[in-house]
Amino acid sequence: MGDFLKLVQNENMKIYRRLRTWIMFAILVLLMMLFGVLFYMGSSSSPIGAWDAVDQLSFLYFLVSIFSVVVAADIVAAEFTWGTIKLLLVRPWTRTKILVSKLLAVLLFTLAMSAVYLLANMAVSFLLFPDIQSGVFPKGSGGPLGYIMEDLLYNYIDLLVITIFAFMVSTVFRTSGLAIGLSMFILFAGNIFTMLFHPTRYAWAKYMLFVNMDLGQYRGGQVGPAGMTLGFSAAVLTGYVLAFLLIAWFVFKKRDVAA
Amino acid sequence: MVQEPVVRIQGVSKKIGSKTLIDNLTLDIPPGQVYGFLGPNGSGKTTTIRMMVGLMSITQGDILIQGSSIKSDFERAVSHVGAIVENPEMYKFLTGYQNMVHYARMSPGITRERIMEAVERVGMQHRIHDKVKTYSLGMRQRLGVAQAILHRPKLLVLDEPTNGLDPQGIRELRDYLRILAKEEGTTVFVSSHLLSEMELMCDTVAVIQQGRLIDVKELNHGDAPADGQRETAFDVDHPAQALELIGAGRIEGSSLIVAVDRSAAAAINAKLVMAGISVYGIRVVTRSLEDQFLEMTGGGHIG
Ligand SMILES: Nc1ncnc2c1ncn2[C@@H]1O[C@H](COP(=O)(O)OP(=O)(O)OP(=O)(O)O)[C@@H](O)[C@H]1O
Ligand SMILES: [Mg+2]
Repeated sequence: MGDFLKLVQNENMKIYRRLRTWIMFAILVLLMMLFGVLFYMGSSSSPIGAWDAVDQLSFLYFLVSIFSVVVAADIVAAEFTWGTIKLLLVRPWTRTKILVSKLLAVLLFTLAMSAVYLLANMAVSFLLFPDIQSGVFPKGSGGPLGYIMEDLLYNYIDLLVITIFAFMVSTVFRTSGLAIGLSMFILFAGNIFTMLFHPTRYAWAKYMLFVNMDLGQYRGGQVGPAGMTLGFSAAVLTGYVLAFLLIAWFVFKKRDVAA
Repeated sequence: MVQEPVVRIQGVSKKIGSKTLIDNLTLDIPPGQVYGFLGPNGSGKTTTIRMMVGLMSITQGDILIQGSSIKSDFERAVSHVGAIVENPEMYKFLTGYQNMVHYARMSPGITRERIMEAVERVGMQHRIHDKVKTYSLGMRQRLGVAQAILHRPKLLVLDEPTNGLDPQGIRELRDYLRILAKEEGTTVFVSSHLLSEMELMCDTVAVIQQGRLIDVKELNHGDAPADGQRETAFDVDHPAQALELIGAGRIEGSSLIVAVDRSAAAAINAKLVMAGISVYGIRVVTRSLEDQFLEMTGGGHIG
């Protein structure tokens, strides 16, 4: 087990020793600061509270999704483009273990990025805006922090699904470009698909990945279109994620490496 | 001396689609040897090596390394192997040292000292803390050898290792591989089409063509016997006249070539000089492995 953690340590080294990774963190923090200041200047007439600012700045979480997709799309494909896969696989570790170590490193990265996002968001909001009673958030039921964290959890699940999708495409096609492109397509064109094939019109549509990705739609016990519930969407998402992982594992295990 | 082979390639075939890349290859590689794997371009050397180290699946047959099957007991089998398959690609954004640490973490019990020992072995200690992207091809090749020997493998598999090395580097590698085999008992399996190279460093050479094993040759590293007939070329100003005078042999360019032993060669030389023919040079024509190889494989057909 201790030895397996060394594999994860290797993958981490390959993520964090790249300049690219630090540029991603820098962009996230800088844009957070920039938008914080913009909101601050825009709100001079009608001041908003710090918690409201946290909520407004939360749109920047899409950056965390994009950066996570980029890392996941690269982690297997890059070994093939660099040719390093040959040396990586000629070691006393099965391919399954190598792949799992890469997946774990990606998950750790998504957690690290999410943590930095949350810290930056809170820091910017509470430095620039007064900690006053929020006009937006409903009182009681966990308060603003609870609301923010619940929101983040839904967004994180969304991110996980799309990141694991990118991980699969990267493993199957060995090109990060395709993985990034397809993932971005799902991320941004999902709404269009949901509109075209709405679950209320097509019975099968509720099994599509797109319509289940936003778990926030069930907040407060709401029921989605065509009777979809939180439990239903969670089950569908789990099914998709398991399928993505199985495909990635199967292809990675069987592949003839002739890089 | 019968020793358990380090590698047993047992009736291995590789098919991709309808194409047979390797056809029922059987080969035992004895321990402590530098074992050459020779064949023209496209004959299947790299394919065989990829199957040996588990990068490619084996369609039929099996490969045992130290008695463990690369198919069914991959982790144990491959733990005895160090390899460079074609070019050794490294992580360019890491330093040489960080690359070594990366591979050190993947094998049990490799200390910092062992890393530096391997690095010094290939003469890279002065540049090891530079990023790999600043390395030349030869330097990357050296680092490749260092990562391959890091865990003191029983079997070192090298696919065209002299690619990109300068003459000095080639010589060092050759000497080093021989030392590894002799002193540490490592078996070195090395593929190449640089035949003269193989002749200099291998104990045994297996020749492959179109995916089939066609010959296994033990090379004699002792000098050829001093007497005995050898083809000898006399470089002269009038080869036709010389042929007439000696009455044997054949003409190649400006040389008369005769099969003679040492004393006869001296006698012929005297005869030529007496007859007023200028002799510019005398040399023994060696039939190199290269010639034998070309003969066996029938010239340079690819495929
Ligand atoms: N993925 C593949 N699909 C189909 N054929 C392949 C594949 N990889 C290699 N081959 C074919 O297999 C044969 C053997 O190739 P291999 O790379 O093993 O040759 P080699 O002996 O290493 O040659 P070289 O000296 O040029 O390195 C060639 O005819 C090649 O075209
Ligand atoms: Mg080759």
